[in-house]
Order: sequence, then structure tokens, then C-alpha cells
Amino acid sequence: MKRAKAGGDEEATRQNGSAGRRKGEQQQQQQSDGDGDCDLGPADMQDEDNDPGLRREIRSKYRDLINSVQQNREDMLRPSNNKLTEVLEEANKLFKDVRQAREAALDAQLLVVATDLGKEKASQLFAEGTAFDPTAFAEHLLSFMGLNRLEDGEDEQQNEGAADGYLPQDAWHRVARRAECCIRSAPAFHYMMGSFHAEPPPPKQRTERQRKAPSKEAKRIMPTQLKRMEGSHQEATEKEVERILGYLKGYYQDDPSSPISYYEFVIDPKSFSRTVENIFHTSFLVRDGLARLYMDSAKLPCIAPVEEGEVEAGGSISRKQCIVSISPKTWKELIAAFDITDTMIPLANTD
Amino acid sequence: MSQRKRLSNTQISSQSKRQSGGSVAQEENDDTTFTQPSTSQVQRGMQKLTPAQVDQKTAEVVQYFLVKDQKKIPVRRADLVKHVVKEYRTIYPEIMKRASRTFDQVFGLKMIEIDAKNHMYILINKLEPGDGASPIKSPTNPKMGLLFVILSVIFMKGGVVRENLIWNTLNKLRVDPGEKHEEFGDVKKVVTDEFVRQRYLEYVRIPHTEPVEHEFRWGQRADVEVSKTKILEFMGQLHEQDPQSWSQQYREAHSVSGSTQPGSSR
Repeated sequence: MKRAKAGGDEEATRQNGSAGRRKGEQQQQQQSDGDGDCDLGPADMQDEDNDPGLRREIRSKYRDLINSVQQNREDMLRPSNNKLTEVLEEANKLFKDVRQAREAALDAQLLVVATDLGKEKASQLFAEGTAFDPTAFAEHLLSFMGLNRLEDGEDEQQNEGAADGYLPQDAWHRVARRAECCIRSAPAFHYMMGSFHAEPPPPKQRTERQRKAPSKEAKRIMPTQLKRMEGSHQEATEKEVERILGYLKGYYQDDPSSPISYYEFVIDPKSFSRTVENIFHTSFLVRDGLARLYMDSAKLPCIAPVEEGEVEAGGSISRKQCIVSISPKTWKELIAAFDITDTMIPLANTD
Repeated sequence: MSQRKRLSNTQISSQSKRQSGGSVAQEENDDTTFTQPSTSQVQRGMQKLTPAQVDQKTAEVVQYFLVKDQKKIPVRRADLVKHVVKEYRTIYPEIMKRASRTFDQVFGLKMIEIDAKNHMYILINKLEPGDGASPIKSPTNPKMGLLFVILSVIFMKGGVVRENLIWNTLNKLRVDPGEKHEEFGDVKKVVTDEFVRQRYLEYVRIPHTEPVEHEFRWGQRADVEVSKTKILEFMGQLHEQDPQSWSQQYREAHSVSGSTQPGSSR
């Protein structure tokens, strides 16, 4: 019974093939048995049925047919291709020798694959207008991309219709540019100067701030104490600068005509760090226009306070900048050269 | 049991502005912790906030969108509410309205909900691309070319194709999904994973196939971003045929359902 049913279905769809002959055979079998497996008939047929070599051959041919349909599906789909008909005719021939369930199962599998292909081909027929052929599309697109078709004899051996010629580097960029007109995607947003990875920060920042709020109360005592020290540190610098100005003016008033050598003024022969501090503080005086540096006749730098009347806020006088650097070695050389024995700026009393 | 718990969470979260937090496991499309507040709820919410606060929150939403859009991955409402809107969720509709206006007026972008069920948003360009190439020579992304080819084939073939058709066509263009391509890298991943996540393509399993086969369709983003008319024009150019000769596709491109399409003539 199984056999008859399967046969009936197959017959209905395999109308392309030679159904006539098969019909006769089937009727014979229907009359004989409904077993499905072996055939009742003359004794010599029995041997053929059980010959494993022949069975294998039939199964292998079926598998070849199935593979050929699956792999050449694209080509077989094309309207101009009639391979499907040939496959069905081939299968019909094979079916005559099918005796066992295994072969019939393969036959059924081939049927599924072939009908699926047939369905697609049929749907192509129903499409109005020009059919769309992806292969032709691909060919045209390659030309659009600027494919350089070589006419080299060697290439013909390697390719199987796909790889003759080479594509230029910007092939896909050309397509992309053409695609821009058809796709209205939003331009991607990027910071002009680059950015850090932007995603995680917003949630993180908020939680941190929330955690800090409760702990602020506890810490209040500490900052006020520290602040006082910071303030005094700043005042110390200002006080020191004023003190130095005082000394400078003092020396200048003692002898207005005699220039005060800058090096003699700032250098403390007993302490290199004190010297550096003096240079630092003196620079404030010069910056604020309260003292000026000039070169004397011997091209040595001298310092003098600026007269009361001469001080101009904002310094519209032409300002020059210079960077003073000193190393312990230079410091010692200067002490020797100028024969400095004592500092002109005595140490201040510590607060 | 768990469903009832979820519902009660929703009620709590919409009435008091507390976050329902991570107690409910968020699946990919699970949006049940957030229900759209009513107009009266929005009004009440607005009264409790200063204009500056609302503006600030709107700006944050705008920035979130712009950064997420760099990779073209759609923004999920659930993420937006959880990471950005947070306690302002009662005025969520108002914020979204303002953000949409900002995109429209400041950036020339449209904020579109491409998935009304799972609440996912994307940004698209409000302006029509001009005919011919743009005068601004910004660097082109070759992946867009690849996508364009795939979308064209799907469209010309009626809207659904089996994956093998796509792979075979790409093979003819020297792009082999089995090998690493010098421009695209892992082609299979780009096509079946990246483009799908960006919602340009849909890659769906065909049932009862052995070995497993999939089919490709246009994704939700492609439906709003890509112009079928312009694709047909390009086909006409390539094949040197009149676009109208593909009558079925021509009708599809100019149909009423294609009115959401960019570039469709009315």
C-alpha cells in the first residue's frame, strides 16, 4: 500500500517524464502485493533485488542527482535552463529499479528538492514584466565597480567564469557612494576633537555625587583648619617680597648713584636655596613694576627700585621677559667672581 | 507568580518616582517595568520640576541617542528609561516630544519608532538625498555598498530570498562568506549579525529545512531609510532598461504602503 501511494504521487508530478511505461509496471505491482519491500515474481528477479552492489549503485545515483540539484540550484532556476526536466527523466529511469525502502526514501528526497525548485521556477513565470536575473545584475555591477577584464590566456584556466580580471581598490566605495543617494541614514555624531568612550560616564557620575553628599557633613571640621595654613603661606610670600623691596629701597637710598649689582643682591653665599628664593621674590618686584633690572656699563645686570612717580599700573612701559636660571655650580662661580661674603637680604624671622 | 510581581512593580514605579531597579530580570524585549504615563500624570510631573531640569534631561536624552546612533543600533525604550530618564519617567512622553523637536529643528534628523511592540527608536535623516553624488566628499563606508547590493537583490526578487541566493550573488562579486574579505572581514558576520542588529536586514530561519536554511528580508530600518524608487532607478541605469519594465517592483515602490518611503513621488 505504501508503495502504491508513493507511486501515485510521483506519477502525478512527474508528468514531464515518461509516465506511461511506469504506469503499466505499477499496476502489475499493485496486483501482486502491498508489502512494499520485495517483489513477487520470477525467481531470477529475486537475485537482482538482493544484489547489494546494484542497490548501492542506485542509491549513489540518486544521491548524485540530489546533489546536482542542490548545488546548481541557481543555474537551474534561470528561465532558460531546462536541467530540471533532465533530472526528472533520469530519476524516472532510476525508479524502475528501486526495490527497497532505502532507495525509495532517497527518491522521495529528490522529489522534495525537485518540486521546491519547480515551485520557484513557476513563480518566476507568474511575475509580470522582466524577470530579475541576479547573475546578470552581478555582471553589470562588476562593470560599474570598474572591473578590469584581463584577456590573459593563463587566467582562463584558473577561473570558472567568476574570476577574470581584477577589481580596483575602491570598487566597493564606488558602490557605497552610489548607494548614498538611496539611503537616507543619519550622519553619525562624533566629537570634532575626538572624545573618550562616551557611553558609561553619565550614569557613573550621578551615583558618585549622591554618595558624596552625606559624607560632607562629617568632614567639615578639617578643611577650616587647613585653610588657615594655606592662607598664611600665601601671605608669607607677599610679606617676603615687601621685605625685600624694603631692603632694596634702603640700599638705593643709601647711595642712589651707585648701582646695585643684581647678583650681589640676590645671592646668599651660605645657602643656595635661599639664593633661589631671593631670585623668586625679586622677580615679583620686577613683574609688578616696583623694581627694574638694567645693564650697567660693564654689561652686568643691576637692580634698582622704580621711583614713586614712575610706577605705572599695568605697565605700559615696554616689558621684556627673561628666564633666570641658576645651578649650584654657577652659584659658586658667581660667589667667587663677585667675591660675595655676606648676603644683602638677611633672613627674616620665622613667623 | 512572577507576572503578578512585575505588574505591582509597574504600578509603584509610575506613581512614586522611585526606580523599580534590577529586581525584575530584563529580557531583551522586556518593557514591563515601564508603562507609558497618562497625560494627567505628565502634567503633575511637570509641575514638580523646573524648566531647567526638564531641558537638562531632554539634552541628556538627545546626547544618548546621538552616541548610540554612531553604531546604528536602535535605542530601546527600556534602556533609555533605565539609564537616562530615570526618576523623570513620569514626564517621559514630554521629554520625548521635546527631544524629537530638537532633532528635527537642530540636527535635521527624525526620531522614528521602528518597532511599536518592543519600543525601539532610530534616527534617520530628515533631508532627502540629492540626485547624484553629494557635493560633500565625506569618506564612504564600503559596508553600505554591500548592504545596498543585498537590499537591491531582495527587493527585485519580491521581498524575500533564500540565503543561498545572496551568498551566490556575493560570490560572483568576489565576496565569499567563507573567507575573510579584505574590506569587510567576516562577511557572514557582517551580513547576518551586524546588519540584522542594525535592523537593516531580517535573517529568519525557514522551518522544516535540513540542513538549516534562512531567508533574508528587508529590516525595519531599511523600510524607512531606503528608497525603493531610487534602487529601481539604479537598476535601470545598470541594465540600461526603463525602471518601469520591472512592473511589479515599480508598483511596489510607488504604492501607498511605500508612502513612508523616502523619495516616493506623490
